[in-house]
Amino acid sequence: MLGKGLKRKLEQEEEHEVMSCYWLQRQTVLNLSLLKLHSRPGHSDPGLARRVLITNTLRHIQDELRGEGGPVPGSPLAVVDGCRERPAESHSEGSLTPVSRLEEDRHLLLCLSPPTSRQQPPSSSVIKDSFTSALAEIEDLCPTVGITTLFTTETGRSITSDPNPRQTDPGLSEMNSSTDSVSSLSDSALSVFGHTPSLLTDFSLDDFLFTEIDSLLFDNIPYGSSLSASSGASKVVSMVTDDLVKTLTGYSNGGTSQSGLSSNQTFKLDLSELDHIMEVLVGS
Amino acid sequence: MDGDGEGQSRWCLSQVKGAIDDDVAEADIISAVEFNHSGELLATGDRGGRIVIFQQEQESKSLPQGRAEYNVYSTFQSHEPEFDYLKSLEIEEKINKIRWLPQKNAAHFLLSTNDKTIKLWKISERDKRPEGYNLKEEDGRYRHPSSLTTLRVPVFQPMDLMVEASPRRVYANAHTYHINSISVNSDNETYLSADDLRINLWHLDFTDRSFNIVDIKPVNMEELTEVITASEFHPLQCNTFVYGSSKGSVRLCDMRASALCDQHSKLFEEPEDPSTRSFFSEIISSISDVKFSHSGRYMMTRDYLTLKIWDLHMESRPVETYQVHGYLRSKLCSLYENDCIFDKFECCWRSDDSEVMTGSYNNFFRMFNRDAQRDVTLEASWENGSPGCPLKTWRVSTGSRRKRNEIGVDCLDFSRKILYTSWHPQDNIVALATVNNLYIFQEKPN
Repeated sequence: MLGKGLKRKLEQEEEHEVMSCYWLQRQTVLNLSLLKLHSRPGHSDPGLARRVLITNTLRHIQDELRGEGGPVPGSPLAVVDGCRERPAESHSEGSLTPVSRLEEDRHLLLCLSPPTSRQQPPSSSVIKDSFTSALAEIEDLCPTVGITTLFTTETGRSITSDPNPRQTDPGLSEMNSSTDSVSSLSDSALSVFGHTPSLLTDFSLDDFLFTEIDSLLFDNIPYGSSLSASSGASKVVSMVTDDLVKTLTGYSNGGTSQSGLSSNQTFKLDLSELDHIMEVLVGS
Repeated sequence: MDGDGEGQSRWCLSQVKGAIDDDVAEADIISAVEFNHSGELLATGDRGGRIVIFQQEQESKSLPQGRAEYNVYSTFQSHEPEFDYLKSLEIEEKINKIRWLPQKNAAHFLLSTNDKTIKLWKISERDKRPEGYNLKEEDGRYRHPSSLTTLRVPVFQPMDLMVEASPRRVYANAHTYHINSISVNSDNETYLSADDLRINLWHLDFTDRSFNIVDIKPVNMEELTEVITASEFHPLQCNTFVYGSSKGSVRLCDMRASALCDQHSKLFEEPEDPSTRSFFSEIISSISDVKFSHSGRYMMTRDYLTLKIWDLHMESRPVETYQVHGYLRSKLCSLYENDCIFDKFECCWRSDDSEVMTGSYNNFFRMFNRDAQRDVTLEASWENGSPGCPLKTWRVSTGSRRKRNEIGVDCLDFSRKILYTSWHPQDNIVALATVNNLYIFQEKPN
């Protein structure tokens, strides 16, 4: 299909595609698991066996993600390492973040996005374009998942890098939906899906701010149906995704998707774009 | 028994029970199917808490090519919905399991259970009644004793057959978690009931006490990672039982070893194949059913994708593994999303242990001939084929080309699943349940 000259690049891309598929699936499973744990099937007692299985699956993924937080051998994960360095740099340069945890959000955001880029190698500076393509791919993959990937960053933060002592017990209590380690997620999740949020206990300021942004983001979108109407969810996803896509690409330099920015600048641009979007959505 | 060149099997549809329409009431969904020990009776339970018992017609049984005709024998409401006020939760009346007791007299006994309560039902026939009392007037009022001048002994007169089901025992309040299995012991005096974390031993005669024989509840529930999913007594050794777990292991316990059998005598576990590892490895390894062979020498386990036959003398790995629907391995993420990955399929042995059977999706069911090492896929459908007609065999293809009798993986209907199956204890008759229909198939002898 492709000429000889591009062969090496294709292999590299294939490898990254394989890894990105893996990450994508892992993220999907993570989101699905959280969704399942937090949705109540009805009046009758949800089965313990099912909850245990979902929790174990979730725990396995969490352990993997936590493990990748440290130095990881093996080339496929070099992308992850590459990702992580940049947020640290830009953070040290004093990039603005209303929420200091956004740095760790970007870790997951970027791990999700660069490998799915089919145009450029992961170390490329054009992150936002691959972010949009990643979102689109996620949506194609699984419409009901899309809505959760949007606040995946929240998930990633609260699960993988939450220094809160609640998190230290790996034998974690996802089974207890009242547990605080996922309460911040569950609050945003629940507010998204129209349930009344559980008690906002033990919220740090950062948690609260980020939750609020998420809630506002989704509250601004007319959404009357419950979670079970997955078509409704996917519509919301499309709306939100499209909005984000438009605003993100719109804010790129001169509206072109190809950009020669350096990585640091791009990340700063990313954050400021995100903030801007939030302001726009919140303010309206 | 399986297909010859034309893609036909020797199995044919005998009967279909239940409403044949697309509108299925939740309460009518069948949740248990079980032949009794003679095969004369076939019991089904549904989500509405009802039990329907079918009886095989005696006339057809005597015919050489007799098609097994099962007709409704008794229908009764076994369990009612309840409300747990402490937890503010409904207790479903759905029948989880039915187990027959061996017949000791003219009456039939079965155990039925929902999530919390087990009941012993007596099903008895009444075909005569005493007549000739002279104690009452025509209108039913009792006559004055002084007006009675003769002693008349009533005589039994034949009447229309009446089948009565009466609850003889109610075994309640012994399970905090949902009961998933019951199993009658070979001693015909005791039985076990298993929920997610505990197994209790009962004596059939006593409802006010039960003995806990397995307890895997951790002190700290946050450390819970494994639950009990199925349990059964050994068919011959009354001290032996097994239980399967959500992690794919089966433990065999000997009640003579200790009162609390938390320490297993044998652990049957196959090491995981690292090449097939995925996020769903644990979920698909969860044991959905465990059944001893009639001989008592083997044990069969069903997990999401496979059937495994274990020799009780060898714990390290099964002696036979059968792929039920391996083509689903690439679809696990979708099946996780729509919850189908949690479906609990049952399995059953043929009377001589030479074949095993289990259900799948798209109303397919699979039969595996252990001796000939052949398998066949059949469909439970009242549309294709009439009673008496041999069923055609199916193949599921993953490729894009379709031959005759082939269906693509993406065309499978995951809402039509066969979870509950039972094999006649002597003849080659199988009963299985689709969502709301009971299908009875019979094998034509050669």
